[in-house]
Order: sequence, then C-alpha cells, then structure tokens
Amino acid sequence: MNNRPFSSTWLVAGFALLTGCVLLASCAKKEEPPLPIFGEREVEGKDTIYHTIGDFKFVDQDSATITNDTFKGKIYVADFFFTSCRTICPIMKTQMLRVYDSIQHDPQVKLLSHTIDPKYDTVGLLHDYADRLGVKSDIWHFVTGKQEDIYKIAQTSYFATAMEDKGEVDGFIHSGAFLLIDKERRIRGKYDGTKEDDVNRLMGDIARLEKEYVTK
Amino acid sequence: MSQNKVEPQRRKGAKENAKRFALALRLGAFAVQTALLLACTPSKTDAPKTLPDGSPKFQQYYVHGEELYLRYCSNCHQKNGTGLARLYPPVATSDYVDKNKDAVICLIRNGKSGTLIVNGISFDKVMQPIPALTDIEIAEIATYLYNTWNRHEGIVEVQHVSKVLTSCDTIPQ
Repeated sequence: MNNRPFSSTWLVAGFALLTGCVLLASCAKKEEPPLPIFGEREVEGKDTIYHTIGDFKFVDQDSATITNDTFKGKIYVADFFFTSCRTICPIMKTQMLRVYDSIQHDPQVKLLSHTIDPKYDTVGLLHDYADRLGVKSDIWHFVTGKQEDIYKIAQTSYFATAMEDKGEVDGFIHSGAFLLIDKERRIRGKYDGTKEDDVNRLMGDIARLEKEYVTK
Repeated sequence: MSQNKVEPQRRKGAKENAKRFALALRLGAFAVQTALLLACTPSKTDAPKTLPDGSPKFQQYYVHGEELYLRYCSNCHQKNGTGLARLYPPVATSDYVDKNKDAVICLIRNGKSGTLIVNGISFDKVMQPIPALTDIEIAEIATYLYNTWNRHEGIVEVQHVSKVLTSCDTIPQ
C-alpha cells in the first residue's frame, strides 16, 4: 500500500481547513468593539453595576408627562439648552436636527432636550419652538420641569454642566454635550453638540449601539 | 508650491543632483520671497474672493464684517445665511433683507420681536439686541450682508449707519 499520497492529501485539506478557520476568526474579530460605558461602576460578586440615569419626571411640549418609562426599550440622545440662548444652543439645535433627520424613521431612537430656563421656557414656548423647528413630538421631546430637578439630573446623571450665572451673556452656563443613552439607562457616548464632526461620530455610534441589541 | 518643485527634481539623475538642488533652492527662495511680498502688499489679486469693490476701505469693512457676522449672527442665521427652519429667518436669500436696509441696520443694534414675514414665511422668535456693537461694526456687518450671497450693493458707510440709528423709531420695520 502506498500511504504517502493519501496522507499528504489529508495534510493539504487539513491545512486549508485550518487556514479557513483562522481567516474566519480574524474576520469575526474585525467587528467593532462595543461602545464604552461611562461613569463609575461597582462590582458585586459576578455582577458589575454601572452608572445609570436616575429617575426623572418632566413635561414635554405637548404637556405629556415624560419619565424614564417614555424611553423604555429605546436608545435616546439627551442635551440641555434654552430657547432664548444665542450662543451655542442654535448651533446645538442645528446639529440635533441632523440627528433627528437621520433617526426620524427609526422607532428605536428618541431625542430628549431639557430646557435649563424653565421660568421662561414654558410648555407653550417649547411647543412653538418644536413646531417651528418642524419636528414631531413623539420623536423629539422638549421638556421642562422644576429648575432644581433639571440641574440635578444634568449634574448627577448626565455629567453635564447646567446652572444659572448672571455673569454669562444669556444668564446661564451649560455644556453643549449630546449624551447617548442605551436601553439600560447607561451613558454610552458623549459628544460636542456644537461640532459637526463629533455629531457625525454620534450618528455612527447610534447605529453601532443598535447593532449590539441585534446580536444579543 | 516651491517645495513641490524641489522634490521631483531631487529624484532625477545622480550627477547633476547637487547643481539642480541648489538651483531649485534658489528658485524656491525666490518664490517664497515673491509670495511674501505679494501677501504684504494690498492688491486686488491676493484677495480671497472676488469683491465688488477693491478699495482697501471696502475690504476692511467686508473682512471685519464677515468676522463679526460669524461671531454675532451665524449661530442662528447660519454661516451660509440660510437660517434654521421657521425658527431663524434666512439672511442670504431674503426679500426682507433686500428691501429693508435701514430696518436691518436698526435691528442689528436693537433686536426684533413680533411677527416677521420673510420670503412669505412667518417668523416670530425674539431676536435679542446686541447693544455692544458700535456704529462702525454695524456698518461692517451691513457691508458684509449687502455684498455677499449675490448682493453687490457696495460699502455701507458708517456715517449712514449712525444717521439711521438715531432715527430707528421712524423707520418702518
């Protein structure tokens, strides 16, 4: 019996199979890593507890009550602004409108803009603002509430600066950040809402985050 | 430009390399010198874009006006002057801006509230006044507005602006 050709055939086949596996594995590895999870975390036994957005209850431009449950099973983008602001807010809203245009037909994603000037920004004013911006209230919620509640959730949950400051041009200081929140109330991205490039990154990250839920 | 010319020449034959390199360097230096000279001499040719009026005064108004526009106006009205939806009216293609130069001069200083129809669309957000702007700065912004986006109305003189600003109450908005 001549064993040699037989064994070499198997050797080649085996090698090909191995190469295939390696290639496949390397292709699988090329998939993008999951987005980071922001904030402090605690490890309790096998579980890691991440920073999450605290409970909130606000009112939107349609006088509807908006709570965490409004965003149950949704991804959302949050920011802080006020309608009479002339500095960074109009730029933020120009950029958020781009985000709106990209997600308006995607039921998975919502937008949440908090006014940090609730004394001036009444429900009626927010309604007019949203209407003039030409956006739908079930996709983009403009909310108002107690000033201290809004400032507290900004600082402690979203790590965004928001406070009154009479020394500032329009009377407030606040960050221009857009925050990407996942379905587990965790912060998965922070973006400069005044920079077109950073907002492009946000739109890419929304798609990435949605993929995480598809593969689960 | 001159640097790019040096590179391909260096890669050529080995013999005359040094000679050519020296020549290219000299040429490069000359080009840089010329460019510097041109840049430092105010002339029509080195203006960033074709301006309707090449006079130094116009250019000063226009260039400073653009800076001021970007600092005080473009957040809402956008860099390209298109405005934003029905929130902030456009200033580029705008029948209101076209027809109401004096009123525009006044509202830059004093702000504007109430309904404003621009291109047939109703706007109704308050525009805050910008009291910090001086007469000459308003003249510069107006010069920018009225010589950009297909407008070629020439310089808006500060004397005119000062006169208009004293009589804003009487100007129909």
